[in-house]
Amino acid sequence: MLGPLTFAAPFALAALAALPVLWWLLRVTPPRPKRIAFPPLRIAADLLPERQSPARTPPWLLILRLLAAAALILAVAGPVWSPSGIGATGARTPLLVMIDNGFTAAHDWRTRMRVAQDAVEGAARDGRPVAVLATAEPAAPVEARQPAAALERLRAVAPRPHLGDRAAHLSSITAFLEKQAGAEIVWIADGVADAGDDLAKGLGPLVARTGAGLTILAAERPPALALSAADAGGRLTARVLRAAPNGRDAGLLRALDAKGLPLAEHDFRFAPDATETDVGFEMPVELRNAIARIEVAGERSAGAVTLMDERGKRRRVGIVFGGTADQAQPLLAPTYYLARALQPFADVQEPRGAKGVAESVAQMLDGQVSVLVLADVGAMDEETRARVAKFVDEGGVLLRFAGPRLAAGNDPLVPVRLRRGGRSLGGTLSWDSPKTLAPFAPESPFAGLVPPADIGVRRQILAEPDGDLPSRTWASLEDGTPIVTAEKRGQGLVALFHVTADTTWSNLPLSGLFIDMLRRVVGLAGSAAPAAGQGGPAAVLAPRLTLDGFGALGSPPASAVAVSADYGDRATGEHPPGFYGPPDAGIAVNALRSSDTLKPLDLAALTGARTGSLAGAETLDLRAGLFTLALMLLVLDTLAALWLGGFLARRAGRLRGRPAVLALAALALAAAIPPGPARAEEPPANRPNGIESALVTRLAYIVTGDAAIDEASRAGLAGLTQMLATRTALEPGEPAGLDPAKDELAFYPLIYWPIAPGRPQPSEAAIRRIDAFMRNGGTVLFDTRDALTSRPGGPPTPETAYLRKMLATLEVPELEIVPADHVLTKAFYLVDSFPGRYDTGQTWVEALPPAGEGGERRPARAGDGVSPIVITSNDLAAAWAVGKRGEALYPITGGDQRQREMAFRGGVNIVMYTLTGNYKADQVHVPALLERLGQ
Amino acid sequence: MVATRLLGETERRPGRGQTEGALSLAERMPRLVLEARRVSTSLAHGLHGRRRAGPGESFWQFRPFVTGEAAARIDWRRSARDDRLYVREREWEAAHNVWIWIDRSASMGFASDLALAAKVDRALVLGLALADTLVEGGERVGLLGLTRATASRRIVEGLARALVADEAGLTEDLPPRASPGRFDEAVLMSDFLTPLDRVGAAVADIAGRGSRGHLVQIVDPIEESFPFAGQAVLHDPESGHELPIGDAGGWGTAYRRRIAIHREGLAEIARARGWTLTIHRTDRPASEAALRLLTLVAASRGAA
Repeated sequence: MLGPLTFAAPFALAALAALPVLWWLLRVTPPRPKRIAFPPLRIAADLLPERQSPARTPPWLLILRLLAAAALILAVAGPVWSPSGIGATGARTPLLVMIDNGFTAAHDWRTRMRVAQDAVEGAARDGRPVAVLATAEPAAPVEARQPAAALERLRAVAPRPHLGDRAAHLSSITAFLEKQAGAEIVWIADGVADAGDDLAKGLGPLVARTGAGLTILAAERPPALALSAADAGGRLTARVLRAAPNGRDAGLLRALDAKGLPLAEHDFRFAPDATETDVGFEMPVELRNAIARIEVAGERSAGAVTLMDERGKRRRVGIVFGGTADQAQPLLAPTYYLARALQPFADVQEPRGAKGVAESVAQMLDGQVSVLVLADVGAMDEETRARVAKFVDEGGVLLRFAGPRLAAGNDPLVPVRLRRGGRSLGGTLSWDSPKTLAPFAPESPFAGLVPPADIGVRRQILAEPDGDLPSRTWASLEDGTPIVTAEKRGQGLVALFHVTADTTWSNLPLSGLFIDMLRRVVGLAGSAAPAAGQGGPAAVLAPRLTLDGFGALGSPPASAVAVSADYGDRATGEHPPGFYGPPDAGIAVNALRSSDTLKPLDLAALTGARTGSLAGAETLDLRAGLFTLALMLLVLDTLAALWLGGFLARRAGRLRGRPAVLALAALALAAAIPPGPARAEEPPANRPNGIESALVTRLAYIVTGDAAIDEASRAGLAGLTQMLATRTALEPGEPAGLDPAKDELAFYPLIYWPIAPGRPQPSEAAIRRIDAFMRNGGTVLFDTRDALTSRPGGPPTPETAYLRKMLATLEVPELEIVPADHVLTKAFYLVDSFPGRYDTGQTWVEALPPAGEGGERRPARAGDGVSPIVITSNDLAAAWAVGKRGEALYPITGGDQRQREMAFRGGVNIVMYTLTGNYKADQVHVPALLERLGQ
Repeated sequence: MVATRLLGETERRPGRGQTEGALSLAERMPRLVLEARRVSTSLAHGLHGRRRAGPGESFWQFRPFVTGEAAARIDWRRSARDDRLYVREREWEAAHNVWIWIDRSASMGFASDLALAAKVDRALVLGLALADTLVEGGERVGLLGLTRATASRRIVEGLARALVADEAGLTEDLPPRASPGRFDEAVLMSDFLTPLDRVGAAVADIAGRGSRGHLVQIVDPIEESFPFAGQAVLHDPESGHELPIGDAGGWGTAYRRRIAIHREGLAEIARARGWTLTIHRTDRPASEAALRLLTLVAASRGAA
């Protein structure tokens, strides 16, 4: 052993002693002499050489060969460079590999895994039994196995989505160490203190007692980041944690919705020696409610993900109206204004089929609303009043609106004492004008809102001027009369608007201020989570989606156990983080509680342990490099032997005279380098996804990959484009070639798809995109180009078979041959067929609904939309194809030049049909309309 | 190190390249019309009495019958067409021709990278250019043992075609046994890397009826200088013989001595028959040899 360099088979090094023999052997076997063609030999064949100078191998060649031999011998000896020295002691005692696999290890899991594998492989070289212990797994007896089995076990270890509990393993480690005297422990630690008592405290004395060797490999500063989110004060705040300052000071937080779409991103930055930092997300409440997940971008760890459940989200608001249930004018009812104002940020619930106020309120409270709105509800029966009072005590918000009934009744569930009756302002018998709102006081929840000047309160109910009235007033009129009052009761709140929720008393419900005020009031209900049920046992929620150690959501593992609905602890092995319960009423369990912090692992108790860094601990197997070196030296040797034999010179001599050959070789070399995407060379206007595509209507074709077909498609659509520009009002842009798997199809009304049977079928993704394209109103023109070779009733041609296979998974409507009265035949020209290069093929479109029985026979019929699919076999593009000077590129069968003209007319019709739809079918009514107008 | 290469059989046939090379070389030759002074009556038999009526085989013209001529000379077939009598005259054909032989054996396909062309290329270009220039000058040229001597305008293509068709010539390194006429001339182009006695016998065969000739030895530069050193294995493309030599430098000295002796022997063979020997190295331009050959042919004509 040479320091960290060890050999797997050191005896092979003895072969190095044979190198001098090799030297001598190589020296006396020179390379083959050069062979020279020499015609005059015939007349000089009898000239015997005067002396034979003994040829020697050139010394540089000798050195080359010896180097190759030495590299081979060294490689066979299996040198391994392992700076950490794990498994290199040569001892035969068992090795215990402890690897931390809580989520705090997920960040650099690959490195840890490699180090662990190196350790096991090192033990395998020494033939030591190995035990593997993953500290976040449940405690189990530790037993040493064959290294191969241990490696299998190690490969199955994955980071767990929760903090580990290392101390739970102490007893099994103790048992192991006592059984296996002199065992060695390698602990690949993540550096973060875990949930329970620390293992280090127990391990220190144990190691000292049993005399086991302990090596701790850990990153110098634990790099993991974690996240705990708390929703405080109506503002979404996330807290980023780390165990110790580790240099990763800045990063990005990302908020995603339930579908994984990013909704917001926010930078975070640690102070250099801080271990936690808070990040607030400023966003509208509707958006905030959609957030299902907050994560540290790029940190693949379950701890860096916080899942949001329904508990911190939209409040349920129940609205109960004291008036008659059957409103003759529902749009004037108070509930309508309230529901419209609350819907953007709250989950509005209204009683269904309830007869009276008592039943309605009971229904709302059973629905676990957090805000109960009572609009003009007067007297309530005793039982209902008691329930509402209990609701408020437990943290609910009761929001009441005045009205004739409240003014008439006497009700304790109001914040202030009310006078009977009300006052009327600005009425016909009053000198006052309608009063507007005074600016809100700073201590009011409405502070910051600006009341518009045009709010007018015509009628209100008045509060008795008690001493505590000013402290309970949230808003008042210009003359100081309270208009919104509130009182805290128990955990909850009672608030009263002294006007109605409809427009009979004021125009406040019509203003934007009303919405803002309601939003503030409902926001106050945040901290008051409704108690579950009616005090019964908490519901049990089964896991629905759980995180794995890397923070990816998936189906829950078999070991996941259901939690109770009021579970508020951090995740454990039994309860992995994730969503539990049904999607709309479930809860989220996170890897960390919002009050958790991360602490560095304290290793002070382990005084006798060797510590190493994770980064430099990788073991390097030098065999591959040495073998490569030997191989390259041997190749060099072969080349040198060839050169000495005169073979290379001849080749080179020939090449020297032929620069073209050299250029060709250079070209071949250049061609061997994989070219960049060929798409990059396309002119920018032809790029299918450029903004030009969205700005200009243009025809498109599918690039099949068959160069001849693609060129025909391009030239054909170019010809049709020219024809459209000269004959119609449409001036399309240059045709675009598309790859259905990559390019955006939505820009193109018509896509020409020639069938190339020799090419592979389009991918499943491409088929799905074509399906979406057709479903959203696009038209695909499939051209099998086989009218010449197909026979009716015969076996399908390769093109047809290809098309059938491709369409098998597409949603294709019922097809029919274009009927004579189809609008396709009348969209621009009056045509009766759609010839291309061939005129024998049929053209198929989506079947029209059958013509009405006995109805007037109309000259053109059309369905509701445009047929999403047109199938032809006439090779249309080839008939349209024109060259640069406008000359036709492909002959047509039959030789009737009119057929090409008809092909163009058919093409114009198809384009017009895809662009205008059934417009032409409606145009057939024009004569009748004109006739009617004339009368 | 000097690299060498050997042409295969197909490459040793005259192709478009050689034909065009020959024509362009011939164009650059001075239009020696093998001066009119040699067209003397004394030389009428055998030299330039062509292009006129006389004894010969090919048709020359019909002329009206002159009273007093032998009636047997009347061409009745022509005379039957009108009222006059005609006599068919034949072209006066000279029996004096230039015969060219070009060695195309495997050893001629040798080229080193010091040379401008392979030996066989150079020989073909030289021979065909010579033929073209001579025909231009009114001579008749043929390939020894392969074609008749003709004065065709397209002599180069004709000869080239005949050479391509001749498969046997690809392995023969000595001229075929043929006896040109007394006043004919032979031009033998080869590397003459054959034992001297065989060369001497072949030349004796051709010169048997008194015809004269010119030997053109085409030599690759490394065949003269042998610039190799160190270990080498020499091999002969024709016989397949191989000779390993341990010290090429030492062997080269002996070789150069041997080549000089060989060349002297060749010169002796030529001198004995009154022939000439031209040595042409392929690193020299072909026009050098062509000019010298034309001068030699012209001189021998003058002497005849």
